[in-house]
Amino acid sequence: MKKRFAKLISLALVGVMSAGVLAGCGNSNDTASAAKDGVKIGVLVADVSGEEALGFRNYYEEYIQNNYDVTFEYTDALESAEDEKAAIEKFASKGYDAIISLSSSDRAQQIETCEEYGVYYAIASGVLDDEQYEQYKGYEHFVGQIGPSNETEFEAGKAMGEYYKEQGISTVAIYGAFIPNPMHVYRAAGIIAGLGDTYGGTDDMNGMIGQIFGDQAVDPSKIEGDVEVVAYLQGYGDTTTDELNAAIQKAPEAFLSVGMATTFFAQTLAQNDIQFADIDSFTEMNLDSMTNGTLTYLAGKYSSSIGPVFALVMNAVNGNVIRDNDGNAVSLSQGYLVATDVDSFNEYYVTDNGDTPIFDKESLDTIIGDAVTYDDVKALVESK
Amino acid sequence: MSTLKKIIHSLAIPVLVAAILEGLCLTQGQNIITNAKSFDNFVVYTAIVMITTMALSINLNSGRFDFSLGSMAALSSVIGAEITYSALAGGKGSAVMMLIVTVAVGCLLGLISGAIYVALRLPPIITSLGVTLIYEGILYTITGGKYLMKEVQNSSMSAFANTWVYAFIIILVVLIFMVVVFEKTTFGYDYAALKSGQKVSINTGINEVKNALICYGICGALMGLVGFLNAARNTTINGGQLNFGSIAIMFTAFLPMFIGGYISQYCNEKMGFLLAAVCMSLLNSTFAVFSNQVTASMQSIINAVLLVVFLIYLNNINVIKRLFKR
Repeated sequence: MKKRFAKLISLALVGVMSAGVLAGCGNSNDTASAAKDGVKIGVLVADVSGEEALGFRNYYEEYIQNNYDVTFEYTDALESAEDEKAAIEKFASKGYDAIISLSSSDRAQQIETCEEYGVYYAIASGVLDDEQYEQYKGYEHFVGQIGPSNETEFEAGKAMGEYYKEQGISTVAIYGAFIPNPMHVYRAAGIIAGLGDTYGGTDDMNGMIGQIFGDQAVDPSKIEGDVEVVAYLQGYGDTTTDELNAAIQKAPEAFLSVGMATTFFAQTLAQNDIQFADIDSFTEMNLDSMTNGTLTYLAGKYSSSIGPVFALVMNAVNGNVIRDNDGNAVSLSQGYLVATDVDSFNEYYVTDNGDTPIFDKESLDTIIGDAVTYDDVKALVESK
Repeated sequence: MSTLKKIIHSLAIPVLVAAILEGLCLTQGQNIITNAKSFDNFVVYTAIVMITTMALSINLNSGRFDFSLGSMAALSSVIGAEITYSALAGGKGSAVMMLIVTVAVGCLLGLISGAIYVALRLPPIITSLGVTLIYEGILYTITGGKYLMKEVQNSSMSAFANTWVYAFIIILVVLIFMVVVFEKTTFGYDYAALKSGQKVSINTGINEVKNALICYGICGALMGLVGFLNAARNTTINGGQLNFGSIAIMFTAFLPMFIGGYISQYCNEKMGFLLAAVCMSLLNSTFAVFSNQVTASMQSIINAVLLVVFLIYLNNINVIKRLFKR
């Protein structure tokens, strides 16, 4: 009797164990693919928790999905080029029509993989560098890229640095997010230049980013100038709290971030009365931080800024692969909006919220269709 | 050995570590503890390391290697945070409620882990790996792989993490609890007997299964406490820890466990763990001073090298003593 009971318990526990493991392997979005038969788009993401990422996701899954015959399936957090490749292969095997990329471990490999599997591909956050764009602009399945150009990223960082220099700040800490992600490299270089400092003896954009790519990080010992960078940290993981605490112990007058600080560090920085700046989105959490006075500078994008990329993809899937006037994949740059107080923040936040995004159905419908041209898309993107 | 000698020997390592690290910091014109904030960090980190070390040692001392400690900490803190947020929405008393719920859930998770070990009768290293995968799977299912933030970012949690006082109280309570339970109760006597000689102990009538279950329960509760402290300190909980990603939480305790074990030749074992945790926290604070020179990856390497060096020392202590006698 006792043995039988033990066996039963063993079987039950093995069952629970198997169920648990299977539950863990599941994807919360698996139901989505079975829900509709329309266009199916896979979205590559590296960040699943950041304010900007959540804003983007909410726009696609809540607004676009409800207004168009489309299904989005998001990946889990992709941590490497191998993960990105595997995710594209998975989408391709499931018959997905297109991939929109918000992940940038290896964009070249993403394009090559999509080309290999015949899946349309577009970039919704960050852009290829000039050399890469030249190489891939003629690929059949590369639809295009719409987002801040690398120069725009540099200028966004530079404007942030200049703002704090004008405020008379003399010590800062810098958060490099996911350097060597190109977008973050350009922003970090811009911040250093904006502060009036040099990196490795230069304040030239190309000179700085070349060194940062080489270092795979910002090396504080290479920064020279009037504004002292007392601490630098990057990435997010087990040691981040220690690194952040170390930065706070050095008592910087401002904490300047190239992205995601508003998500991860807002509370800790608020606890320590350290003002901070970030390049992110106009979201509720950021509004809270700006209202309580700790977030003093935000260069942001609308959460719906990824709407035009969706339009490009829809057109391609429906047979209208839009090319620029030279017959190449579309490449358009978007700028940043800057808020330094609650009023300016609200101006952007309220106009791009929930059911009334800037790129709403009415505006997107003007660039979705068989007769839509490159000039139509360009005109709409530049109008916002 | 006289009491005075015991005290001197017990404090030798922490004092030596403090002296060396302070000397290093002085080369930068700073101290290990630079300000009030760094002292807060020092005490909170000491609490985390001490409790993790104690949790790890409970089963390891009895020959049960438990890989699931990290997953217990992560899962219990996520469940604790979710329940607390659904009840109080981040309002007053959130920290206290989360602390209680997380410890209770941790205890339950520990008991389940123990029950699986007892029922399956497989080597503990195997069952604990399975349990880790289950708990990480459940964690991922609850969070969708995202970081939990709004659930743990509130004024109550903030107040808890912003002072050394609460962490200090937790250190004292855990220390007293562990000493009493493991050295002054029947369970503790049985535990010590089983540790020394399992077969003989069972033949004398000690219930091994009951003892193991209580050990796992206490381990779970302690890791729940670690999960809570980590959540308060980090202001986030990583919900995407799959494929043994949570094991790192446990590995922070290896070096202090060996150091604590060495110190415990001269004092109470639990006190040894506290002193070892103080050493680790001093090292962590020193890394903060050198944060612009010593990157996170270099810190990991330094920790690993220290562990290996200390193990080499422990395994060759007699050889070293002979060398010095010549």
